[in-house]
Amino acid sequence: MRRATAFAVAVVATFAPVVLPAATGAGVACAATTPHAGLVIDTGSRTLELCVELDAARVSGLHLVELAGDQYGLQYGFGLGGQGMCRLDGTGPTGDDCFADYPDFWGFWKGDGSGAWTWAPTGPASSTVGNGELDGWVWGAGDTGNTHAKPPAVSIDAVCPPEASPTPAPQPSATHAPSPTPEPSPDLAGSPSAGPDPRSSATSVPPPTAAPSADASRSPESTQASRSPVATGSRITTTSPVPTAARSTAVLAEAPNDGEGGNGPNRSLAFALTLATIFALGGWFRLRANRRAPEP
Amino acid sequence: MTSTGVASQTRRLGFHPGAWICWSTCAGIVAFVTTDPVYLLLLWAVAWFVYASHRSAGATAASFRIFVLAGVLALIVRVALVFLGTVNAANVAFAAREGLRLATILVVFGTFNAVTDPFAVVRLAPRRFHEPALAAALALSIAPRTVASVQTVREAQRLRGINVSPLRSLPALAVPVLERGMEDALTLAESMDARGHGGGRRTRYRPQPFTPAAATIAASAALAAGTFLSASFGGWAELHPASLARPEADPLLLVAIAVLAVPGMLKGERA
Repeated sequence: MRRATAFAVAVVATFAPVVLPAATGAGVACAATTPHAGLVIDTGSRTLELCVELDAARVSGLHLVELAGDQYGLQYGFGLGGQGMCRLDGTGPTGDDCFADYPDFWGFWKGDGSGAWTWAPTGPASSTVGNGELDGWVWGAGDTGNTHAKPPAVSIDAVCPPEASPTPAPQPSATHAPSPTPEPSPDLAGSPSAGPDPRSSATSVPPPTAAPSADASRSPESTQASRSPVATGSRITTTSPVPTAARSTAVLAEAPNDGEGGNGPNRSLAFALTLATIFALGGWFRLRANRRAPEP
Repeated sequence: MTSTGVASQTRRLGFHPGAWICWSTCAGIVAFVTTDPVYLLLLWAVAWFVYASHRSAGATAASFRIFVLAGVLALIVRVALVFLGTVNAANVAFAAREGLRLATILVVFGTFNAVTDPFAVVRLAPRRFHEPALAAALALSIAPRTVASVQTVREAQRLRGINVSPLRSLPALAVPVLERGMEDALTLAESMDARGHGGGRRTRYRPQPFTPAAATIAASAALAAGTFLSASFGGWAELHPASLARPEADPLLLVAIAVLAVPGMLKGERA
């Protein structure tokens, strides 16, 4: 049930960036509506900045690289029993020992989305990345965040430009994908099936508007995803031939999404606080009552 | 506190130990799969509620406090370890969440210790496994028995007019506590052997049936753990939020944790 909902939301979200600019004219500063994370790789000879579409709310650092391999043809190799990063974009040892070229190894960095990088406290198998966050891999020497080279300071909006979110093929909705879509993102049209086609920092388009923070972008996203079928109703057929069945499930699915959106986090936090207070007070009263009652 | 001697004879047995095993395992699973402080702190409140509702009258009830302290200590140590490496806000927040998860698991185990009788748990073991069960019984009962013997030794010292100051009387406290611990373990093992532990079909004077209430506890706990496992593997909710992000919570998962408080709402049974 929930999965069906999520799938329907994903379908809506996939088409929203395609349809919305056409419907509302222009200037909609929408972040990518499906969860996206940035992957920055510095091999020492070149820098890759990939905008990777996630297949879950949060994925592990290793899975992000696998997704990038699916979506951009990134070459990679894991080692240390599948837990470590050995090889990226043709750089690094080929065997299972990822430290074969020590002192050079793949340093793992976490980006907050605004250009700041911190040395990852855990390995890529246990560390996760979510929408609007960045993972960075830098080939070089240095065992700590103070000595290892940092990735270039890029924000998530530079890696995933708000108006040019990729719609890669691997979604199940690929069969409904519009084949002739001249409007959005011409540089990304061929990327999913082509080989290594990383967009370098030089070609990536800077965002025209101020970068929305990860938190702030969340609520406009959900409202947009739910608004799109209503606002663009008839235009869907012109820009993208979505079957009516898919559209109706999408419209059906928007209701729960709308209910949870808005000030959802605040409400659920208040709910959690209420529950915790009830249990804490209840326990205190229970203890007092038991203490007063004579032992059986 | 209470007088342990008489009370332990007629103490409330609560529910079937199998139900408590299931509850604590499921609560432990919930704590294990998430690092979201909202869920973890709510689980503390639930554990406290269950403990307050079903604490046994004996000295084992004190083990809850001990485990809470151990949990807080684990949290502090986990955060302190960060200061050996790169110190920044993200690393400290991440360590605090990991430490909180560890502390929550300890609190759940402390609740289990406080509400159930470790030897009742051992009685559940099949005959074939009586030797591992014996070792498990000794291991399980070490914490509550140590707490109990510390209290006994303290009381004895106080009766004899020895000024009990925590630091200076430590050797005078530790030696009898250790001695008692070893003696208790030997006595327990001997008495279990002498009563034919593992030798034949076991009977109980007052058997404790697996009542519908116990089944309710087990089922509700399994439901809660199942919800969290499906969120963990299905990925439909965020269980490991970014270290510096504002904490968020999924209402369904909050309800799942609240379901773990079901034993606190049921009335304990006397066996």
